[in-house]
Amino acid sequence: MMTYIVFILSVIFVVSFVGFSSKPSPIYGGLVLIVSGGVGCGIIMNFGGSFLGLMVFLIYLGGMLVVFGYTTAMATEQYPEVWVSNTTVMGVFLLGLLMEVMLVLYVLKSEEVGVVFKFSGVGDWAIYDTGDSGVFSEEIMGVAALYSYGAWVVIVTGWSLFVGVLVILEVTRGD
Amino acid sequence: MNPLIFTTILMTVLLGTMIVMMSSHWLMIWIGFEMNLLAIIPILMKKYNPRTMEASTKYFLTQATASMLLMMAIIINLMHSGQWTITKVFNPTASIIMTSALAMKLGLTPFHFWVPEVTQGISLTSGLILLTWQKLAPMSILYQISPSINLNILLTMAVLSILVGGWGGLNQTQLRKIMAYSSIAHMGWMTAVLVYNPTLTMLNMLIYIMMTLTMFMLFIHSSSTTTLSLSHTWNKTPLITTLILITLLSMGGLPPLSGFMPKWMIIQELTKNSSIILPTLMAIMALLNLYFYMRLTYSTSLTMFPSTNNMKMKWQFETKRITLLPPLIVMSSLLLPLTPMLSILD
Repeated sequence: MMTYIVFILSVIFVVSFVGFSSKPSPIYGGLVLIVSGGVGCGIIMNFGGSFLGLMVFLIYLGGMLVVFGYTTAMATEQYPEVWVSNTTVMGVFLLGLLMEVMLVLYVLKSEEVGVVFKFSGVGDWAIYDTGDSGVFSEEIMGVAALYSYGAWVVIVTGWSLFVGVLVILEVTRGD
Repeated sequence: MNPLIFTTILMTVLLGTMIVMMSSHWLMIWIGFEMNLLAIIPILMKKYNPRTMEASTKYFLTQATASMLLMMAIIINLMHSGQWTITKVFNPTASIIMTSALAMKLGLTPFHFWVPEVTQGISLTSGLILLTWQKLAPMSILYQISPSINLNILLTMAVLSILVGGWGGLNQTQLRKIMAYSSIAHMGWMTAVLVYNPTLTMLNMLIYIMMTLTMFMLFIHSSSTTTLSLSHTWNKTPLITTLILITLLSMGGLPPLSGFMPKWMIIQELTKNSSIILPTLMAIMALLNLYFYMRLTYSTSLTMFPSTNNMKMKWQFETKRITLLPPLIVMSSLLLPLTPMLSILD
């Protein structure tokens, strides 16, 4: 089972995405986002990216999702939608689950899968090596490169985030 | 809006498009698109009423979906080529998905449904920015990947866009919806010639932007958003009425005005590449466009459109000072004799 851990984690990832795409109330969407964040962290860590997995937990789950949870709790309604409360939500959730189950069975049974791109069954998902050169971790060097060679990326993303906040304030301020 | 914040947000829209046009890394292009989208939302929502909020939401949803499709195409391209530079899209699947994503951003058929509704819901100035500046970034990416685009998909979308742009605009009296359908049709013309000669796409884009800019400026000057309101300009400024006539006929692609130049060049380029039926169909469908432009000119400049007597005098607000209107009008109607200069573009 450990060889196929990435595959299992990816399936749980997709199922939790189906869970919030079927549009229950945002509180429940936040719940499955926590699950998907944790599972996504597991996927990244299996590729050797321990720092980035920690980033996901700390910044994404511990920062952004907490703020999202607080704002949703302030704006919530008296009887929030669960997956089983509304026929439409349950129908969409079951449909998504069904499609995922069929895809998983297709991947497990057949030699080569060609949905949008080709990959050869479950074998492609097993991790044989993390891509380390053995001397230094590829992932930490990537983070270091972001702040040295990739200074323009930092400037652009920093400006985008700043403008994002400006835009949100402008839009909610109204007149 | 606070002028400082408005300036910052406007500059961010410009910065987003500039990043898209000058980056060679796919991820930066995607970031540029997102920055552009994020910053234009408050510009679309300048007037705070439910109509603009609905229009901004529709715009945001469609453009975010298009960005997601673009990201998927970028990652498929990465999977098959192992590198992030823009020169060529290495996989046909990635190319098709990328073309669809960029078509969604431009408003080509079958992804054109957002254009009239969003343009109608926002103010005239915001609609101007939406229909001219926002087309630059996706068109520059299409230009850069033009060797790898699947011809069948692009030509189908182009021809259907010309058809939808012509047919859809026939039943409209709201000026912003008319301009939206005109935009759809012009995008169709631009993408039809993209695979054969991308320079003509850029020429058509330039002349289209000039003409659309002129039309919107004329509408802003007369503060009119419906055909009925436009038909009262003879009372306020008869000169503007004449200029509306000239610019609309130029948009319809009639010689000897500049709007004829891109259509002529595009048809010539298509026939040089041995496709005869396609440009014939495109030229015939451009007549649909011409019909509703001519209906506008008929009601505005050529006749005194029937209205009640108390509506004939328009409210005389302070005359709006429109930047650069005379040069724009001259450029959007008199550029045809300069066509031989196109040979310097090679």
